[in-house]
Amino acid sequence: MKTKCIIPVVLLAAIAVSGQQLTHKVSLPKDSPVALISDDWGDSGVSRAFALELHVALSLRNTSSRRIHGITLTVVAQEMTAGGKASISVPSLNVAPGDNFSVRSDLHLLRPLGTGGPQVEVSLDGVLFDDLSFYGPDKLHSRRSMTVWELEARRDRKYFKALLETAGRDGLQKEMLDGLARQADRPQFGAQGVQIVRGRTTNIEPGREVQFAFLQLPDAPIEPTAGLARIAANEVRAPRLQVRNTSNRPIRHLEIGWIVKDQRGQEMVAASLPSDLALAPGASSQVLQEASMKFPQGTAIQSMSGFVSSVEFADGSFWIPSRTALGAANLRRVVAPSPEEERLLQIYRKKGIGGLVEELKKF
Amino acid sequence: MKHVAETELALYTSGDVSLWRRAVVRLHLSGCDSCRVRADEYRADQQALRSVGEDLPEDLDWDALSAEMTANIRVGLAAGECVAPRSRKEPRWSWRPVAVAVGVVALLAAGVTLNLQQHAQAPGLTPVEDRSPMVQVSESGIELRANGNSMGVSGAGAGRPVAVSASMQGTARARYVDDETSQVTITSVYSQ
Repeated sequence: MKTKCIIPVVLLAAIAVSGQQLTHKVSLPKDSPVALISDDWGDSGVSRAFALELHVALSLRNTSSRRIHGITLTVVAQEMTAGGKASISVPSLNVAPGDNFSVRSDLHLLRPLGTGGPQVEVSLDGVLFDDLSFYGPDKLHSRRSMTVWELEARRDRKYFKALLETAGRDGLQKEMLDGLARQADRPQFGAQGVQIVRGRTTNIEPGREVQFAFLQLPDAPIEPTAGLARIAANEVRAPRLQVRNTSNRPIRHLEIGWIVKDQRGQEMVAASLPSDLALAPGASSQVLQEASMKFPQGTAIQSMSGFVSSVEFADGSFWIPSRTALGAANLRRVVAPSPEEERLLQIYRKKGIGGLVEELKKF
Repeated sequence: MKHVAETELALYTSGDVSLWRRAVVRLHLSGCDSCRVRADEYRADQQALRSVGEDLPEDLDWDALSAEMTANIRVGLAAGECVAPRSRKEPRWSWRPVAVAVGVVALLAAGVTLNLQQHAQAPGLTPVEDRSPMVQVSESGIELRANGNSMGVSGAGAGRPVAVSASMQGTARARYVDDETSQVTITSVYSQ
C-alpha cells in the first residue's frame, strides 16, 4: 500500500517533535475577582506524531463581594497560530462571594515541524457580575458576548417562571419537551462544516449577486433595508447590508443573523454579521464584511435571509429579541436556544420537572 | 553499548530495512530494553498513522505527488551542487548526499502528509487561501488554522457540541453542556 510507504518517513520527522515538552501556565491579574485554587492539566502532552492534546481543569474562587454570572478565559497557544487565539466562556453561573467553581476545556493542536516546544497560556479576559458590571481587559469583547448571554438567560428564566405560574408544572413540562424536540430537529452544520476566511478572496469566479430577504422583528431598534452577497459555486462572499436606526438612541454595535437555504430547501443559521458603527437615531449606514464563507462542495445556495439578533446602544445597554418576536418570525426552529435554555433543558432531562422548578427558584 | 540509530529503528518497525540490518537490529533489541521500548512507541505511532492514512481522499493523485517530491529533491540536489566548492578529484561515493536526500524526503513527506491530514478532517472543502487564517465550524466542533498550524477547542469532556456558530469577523463558537453538572461551556477561536 502506498500509505505504508509514507509511514516510515513521517516517523522520521516525528522524531523531531516527539521529544518536545508542552509548557503551560495560568495568569490572573493581581486585583482579579477570581483566585486560582488549583489547575489540573491531566495527561496533556504530545499524543501522536504532530498532534498535541491539552486537558485543563481550573478550580477558581470568587474573591469579590458580588455574585459572578459569567467568566471568559483567553487561551493563547504560542508558536501555534500566529495572531490566533481561543477562549473558554462559562455563562449562566451563579457563584456567591467566597464560593468555588470550575472551568474545564480540551485543546487539540496540530503543527508542522518547528523548533522549540509549544507554550499554552490561559489568562482572564473578563468576569460578568449579577449587576451586569464587568471586570477584565476585554480584549476579546467578552463583555458584549457575556452580557447578551446574561440578558437572554434572564429573558428565558422569566418566561419559564411565568409559564409555571400560569400553566403549572404540566405547561412547563410541555414547553421543555417542545424545546428538546426543536433541539433534535434543528438543522446542524454537517461533518464538513463551513469555513470562514477574512480578507479579499482569490476566487476568480465572478458568481452572481443575491439579495437578502429580511425577517422583521417588531420591536427591533434596527431596520435592515437592503442586502446583497456574491455567490460563486459553493462560496458566499462580501455580504453588505443597509441598515437604519429606528430607535431614539445612538447605536454602536449590531449583529445580524444570516440564514441560508440550500438546494434541498434546508434552512440554517450559517453565520452572524457583527458590525461596529456609530449610528445616530434615524440615520442609515452600510454593514460590509470583506470575508468569504465556504460550504462543502456540491452545496448550492438558493436564497438568504437575515434578522437582527442583538444591538448595543452607545450608553452600553443592549437590545435582544423577545421570545414572542422569535416565535412570530418563525425563527425558533433555526436559531439555537440561549445557553441558559440549554442548561435548563439538561437539568430537566437529568432531574425532571421537580429539579427544574427548584433551579428556577434560585434566581 | 552502542544503540540503534533512531532513523534505523523507525525504518525497522515499518519493515523498511534490508534483511541483514533487520537481523542486526532484532539481535540488538533482544538485549536492549530502551531501544525495544522505543521500537514499540514507533509501532504505536505507525498504527495511528495508518488509521489516519485510511481517511485519505480516494481521488488522491499519488503519481503527481511522487513526481512533485522527486522534482523537489532534484532541485535541492542541483542547488547543492551549484554552491558546493569545485574539486578536481574523481567523484567518490559518499553517504552524505544520501543522508541529505533522506532528510529532504522525510521533511517533504511530513509536510505533504500533514496537509493531507488536515484536508482529510474536512473532506470536500478546500481552503480559499491555504495561507490565510481561517476558522471552521462543523458538527464535531471548531478549529482555527493559520500557516499550517491548527488549533481546535472543545468543552468539558469529549462530547459533541450542542450548537456551533460562526461570525464573518472570523470567530467560531461551540457550545457544550456537561451531562453531570449541566454547566454550559462556550469555546471560541478567533482568526484575528
